[in-house]
Amino acid sequence: MSATVDIAFTLNGVETSIRVPVTMSALEMMRDALGLTGTKYGCGEGECGACTILVDGATVNSCLLFAVDCDGRDVVTIEGLAANPLGERLRASFVEHGAVQCGFCTPGFVMQSHHVLTKSPHADAEEVRRGVEGNLCRCTGYKKIVEAISAAERVG
Amino acid sequence: MNVREKASGDTLIGKRIPKMDAPQKASGKTRYVHDINLPGQLHAKILRSAHAHAGIRSIDVSQARSLRGVHAVITAQDLPFQRPIGVAKDHLPLKRDRVRSLRDEIAAVAADTEEIAEAALKLIRVDYEPLPVVATAEDALRPGAPALHGEDLVCVNRNGTTEVVHRAAPGNVAMTFDYSQGDIARGETESDAIVEDVFWLHYVTHCCMGVSGVIAEFDSNGNLTLYSNSQVPFLHRREFGELLGMDPGRIRIIQPPIGGGFGSKLDIYPFEPIAIYLAQITQRPVKLVFTREEEFLASPTRQPVLLKMRSGCTKDGILTFRDVETVHDNGAYTSWGATTPFVMMQTISSLYRVPNCNYQTRAIYSNNPYAGSFRGYGNLQATFAVEAHMDRLAESIGMDPLDFRLKNAQDPGEVTPQGMNFRTCGFKDCLRIAAERSDYQRKHRDNVARWRDPDPIKRGVGMASMLHVGGGAKIYQSDGCGTILKLDDFAHVTLITGASEIGQGSETVLAQLVCEELGLPLSSVTVVNNDTDVTPWDVGVHASRTTFIAGNSAIGAARKAKDKILAAAAVKFDGKADEYDLKGGIVVDRRTGNGLIEIDKLIRSLHFSEKAELVMTTFYYEPPSQHQDKKFKGDVSAAYAWATQVVEVEVDTRTGIVRLLKVNAAHDVGRVINRLGIEGQIEGGIVMGQGYALTEDLIVDHAVVRNPNFRDYKLVTAPEIPEMDVSFIETMDGEGPQGAKGVGEAPAICVAAAVANAIYNATGVRITALPFTPERVYRALRGQAKPPVWDVGS
Amino acid sequence: MTRVERYLVPRTIAEAAGGLRDGNVTIFAGGTDLMPQSKSGKAKFGTCLMNIRRIGELRGIKRTASGFSIGALTTITDLRDSPEIKVGFPALWRASDHFASDQIRNAATIGGNLANASPAGDTLVPLLVFDARVVLVSRPNGALQTRTIPMTEFLVGPGKTSRRPDELLTAVEMDAPPPGFTSRFFKFGTRPALDISTISIGLGAVRDGEKLRNVRVAIGAAAPTPIRAPHVEEALEGKVVDGATIAAAVSAADCDIRPISDLRASEWYRHELVHNMLERMLSDVGHG
Repeated sequence: MSATVDIAFTLNGVETSIRVPVTMSALEMMRDALGLTGTKYGCGEGECGACTILVDGATVNSCLLFAVDCDGRDVVTIEGLAANPLGERLRASFVEHGAVQCGFCTPGFVMQSHHVLTKSPHADAEEVRRGVEGNLCRCTGYKKIVEAISAAERVG
Repeated sequence: MNVREKASGDTLIGKRIPKMDAPQKASGKTRYVHDINLPGQLHAKILRSAHAHAGIRSIDVSQARSLRGVHAVITAQDLPFQRPIGVAKDHLPLKRDRVRSLRDEIAAVAADTEEIAEAALKLIRVDYEPLPVVATAEDALRPGAPALHGEDLVCVNRNGTTEVVHRAAPGNVAMTFDYSQGDIARGETESDAIVEDVFWLHYVTHCCMGVSGVIAEFDSNGNLTLYSNSQVPFLHRREFGELLGMDPGRIRIIQPPIGGGFGSKLDIYPFEPIAIYLAQITQRPVKLVFTREEEFLASPTRQPVLLKMRSGCTKDGILTFRDVETVHDNGAYTSWGATTPFVMMQTISSLYRVPNCNYQTRAIYSNNPYAGSFRGYGNLQATFAVEAHMDRLAESIGMDPLDFRLKNAQDPGEVTPQGMNFRTCGFKDCLRIAAERSDYQRKHRDNVARWRDPDPIKRGVGMASMLHVGGGAKIYQSDGCGTILKLDDFAHVTLITGASEIGQGSETVLAQLVCEELGLPLSSVTVVNNDTDVTPWDVGVHASRTTFIAGNSAIGAARKAKDKILAAAAVKFDGKADEYDLKGGIVVDRRTGNGLIEIDKLIRSLHFSEKAELVMTTFYYEPPSQHQDKKFKGDVSAAYAWATQVVEVEVDTRTGIVRLLKVNAAHDVGRVINRLGIEGQIEGGIVMGQGYALTEDLIVDHAVVRNPNFRDYKLVTAPEIPEMDVSFIETMDGEGPQGAKGVGEAPAICVAAAVANAIYNATGVRITALPFTPERVYRALRGQAKPPVWDVGS
Repeated sequence: MTRVERYLVPRTIAEAAGGLRDGNVTIFAGGTDLMPQSKSGKAKFGTCLMNIRRIGELRGIKRTASGFSIGALTTITDLRDSPEIKVGFPALWRASDHFASDQIRNAATIGGNLANASPAGDTLVPLLVFDARVVLVSRPNGALQTRTIPMTEFLVGPGKTSRRPDELLTAVEMDAPPPGFTSRFFKFGTRPALDISTISIGLGAVRDGEKLRNVRVAIGAAAPTPIRAPHVEEALEGKVVDGATIAAAVSAADCDIRPISDLRASEWYRHELVHNMLERMLSDVGHG
């Protein structure tokens, strides 16, 4: 086993401390050590976006992030968007627009679109498509996802 | 009296109904198999072969067994009564003395953590005797090629006797199909134009976003519970029973929501029995989840096909014959991919009227990955060839391609020479509407006129159509689905259906159909569809059958419930049952439309009476259609789905990049039940077809998968999607639930064929091999391509 | 996987450079390349893992006397969001825009892209066009030593650089381009981003009436490292961009590139792409 390190960070608004192996990814920490399974493993290589989380206000692939690097930072997962107004509008919009089929990619899309709309609240369809270019979906063909994100400002 | 409407009195059919489980999924609360952890659970990993083809001299697991945290290490030696899996039963979960592909399972470990299991795998020593690799079907058919299943597969029964479970396949032929109608020679004589091509249809794979996984657990009575992604839980239960030598009745399959199916979970794969064996040996729950790389290396593919086709027509544009021969690369073992010819021959014989037709297939063993079932089931491959020839024949007699297709398209009421009975058929409407909405004929002419323009960016339109089963499929002895419907005293309905949900939205459609009968809002239905101990029997999610078969079954149960409620109303209001109806949550008088009583109130009174039996059971078996005979003649489905798609592409002749700009899709779906859901199926299918046509390519080179990752196996991303215009042709199928037909597979089928025709329309270059990746297209445009050749004899 | 015995989180360059002296240190910042490579076993960790992301001095894009200094921890998103980069170094901005995905752009740093030295590294091609210099800092005996070397010397081979194990890559510096210098970047692919370059081309020059001066051409994924293309530059320098010049430049490219065949493209196709895309870029320059 590799060395372990104590870290402390804000997770979904709550101060959290945990001891993690230095080689562990933030994804493994969330799912296996902290039991937050809304963040999904899709590829482990940053190619699918299913594990997208927010760190200090920007989205990253948690499979590429060293868990130890969460130390001192502000981390939000899909579970942390529960009480977030934009998160709520996005979820409602995804449901209403039929943007969810098998649903495995959905939390990652919600996280990423949250970031896209925070940065650019009136993003047009082109900007939205570019914004989620790092998120793969095998079911929907993306059209309804893009529609859901574009409409999220108006939902709710 | 005060009777409130609880739901809109209007119909739910055809509305945009959000998927019932979407809120849970969008908030990350849905628990997929990956998210489930049982107390005391161990983690399993599989050791796969280091060689594509080798003998196994010995396996030493002693070091792995002694690693701290390892609970069990198994090889074939530990499982003397192993039984084969797969469609042809040619495949042992753990290999004994020979490996035939790089995905072959040699040993497996159960340990406290995944890391320990991984570490243990590295301690296993396998002594291989490398054998010559059979890398292609061509290699496999060469005289003197190694026979990959050259000996009988013999298994030892639990009573000590031995049994041949799979006969030797000399010459590497795993399966053959042979179909014919009419007389090809006569067709040729009658032809004014004949075209012939060889097509190559490549490897692609499902890429479900949720990787494969399973959890197996035995209780103290020896009953097995499996948390499985299976699309066919009831049939797999029986198969697991045979594998384990146990009563299938003691196997319970729980299906957590699954991260995508698309046909990939239609067969049992070795990792499932392996997890079960480990759970049995350790008496602990065992969880086995793939990595993405493993998913690419060891889950099924679409069937790669080499296809030779010869077709003819008269100068008036009447098809005269079609002669087709294919070789399917079966891979190392036989899964569903080998049976795709069953579907391919339908398209070849019956999409258009062809009086004379031959179709022959050989599925050939190789050391490559083996192919399973995948959305469309051979139809993408067959349609690719058929639609290329429709364009080529039209061109050779100087006829507009749409007119040529209309001349040969099927009509309602036709029974084809193969025996398919098209009770409803919106094919010609599909053709006309897709063409009209895309301005196909004008664009097609204009693009040809611009072939010699200097502009390096060319535009093209292409058309393709498809025929697919839409009313179940007679693949098994029967095609049934059961339903249990329970009404509680608040008029809440629990719909217990055999039909599994794999993300396609079946639960919402079934709830809609039930609510439509009972006049209840969707919020009063809970759908239970994921536990074989609870749900009634069903043959599984495949062949675009769920809406049709399970839908009819659910309607049957709902009608029984309705009859009971109306009978109670008749007693209460002193009338006849047919004088009442259920609407908006209330019992209404049919004649006056007046509300009489809330349904829940009426039901409550029933529950507190003496003879309330508010549990309905029903089943639906597709209506009598003959099972195909040995010559494949017969009617395979109660209804058939049709579609035409016109695509528009841009070809950059300096790079070979083909961009899909627009798809006009017209689909005969019988009737739209859930507009939101069906649009999602069609759009998702089109983009999956786009991937098949343009970006996805599982590169299998000398039996090695070279790109087992999303970096180099390119799924379509959001910025690449085309504009999509979808039209629904509602032919109101007499047998379908509310007139609906199945649609799940249809949208993926035409895209590649249409893109091929569009590239030709843009550039004048016909490419007969997929996918249309930039380099392949560029080579073809520069005359540097090597077109596929028929090098496999006959 | 190697056992990682120590984890260091230096706060200053000096602290980091001190830590590197002990050898066998694996540095990470964004982690976007290291993490997947280590999980798949393609990269092995040293016995010490150093997280340099807490070194404030390595952040940000700063104006210098001669141009700009981009701190090693500057993310690709920082570059993409920077008006100075968008206006002053459009080829670099474009490469940042076409880099992987938003999530990766938010994590990946320019220092990491340089240190990984992929033949297809997206930012390397424009950095070559801007004659960038890499700043490396070490602390051999207590005092900090700085070595500033041109990109062309920094990139040695696929995944190989001339950084010594005891050196920390702290920044990349670019002089402000000469007045009138315009630059372009082209990355071949079927989609805007999330794609490894099959080939990429960076082109910069000053337009002097009809002629091009100060021409700099760089090409990615067509040799063991991203390269400058001296023969192409020579064919263009001081020339009017007409058909003959373009043809000469295109055929000169063959003297500069040494592409290989791999999964993503054949050698032949890479040659064709470099020709055709160079031709297209030069035609655009000619018309613009």
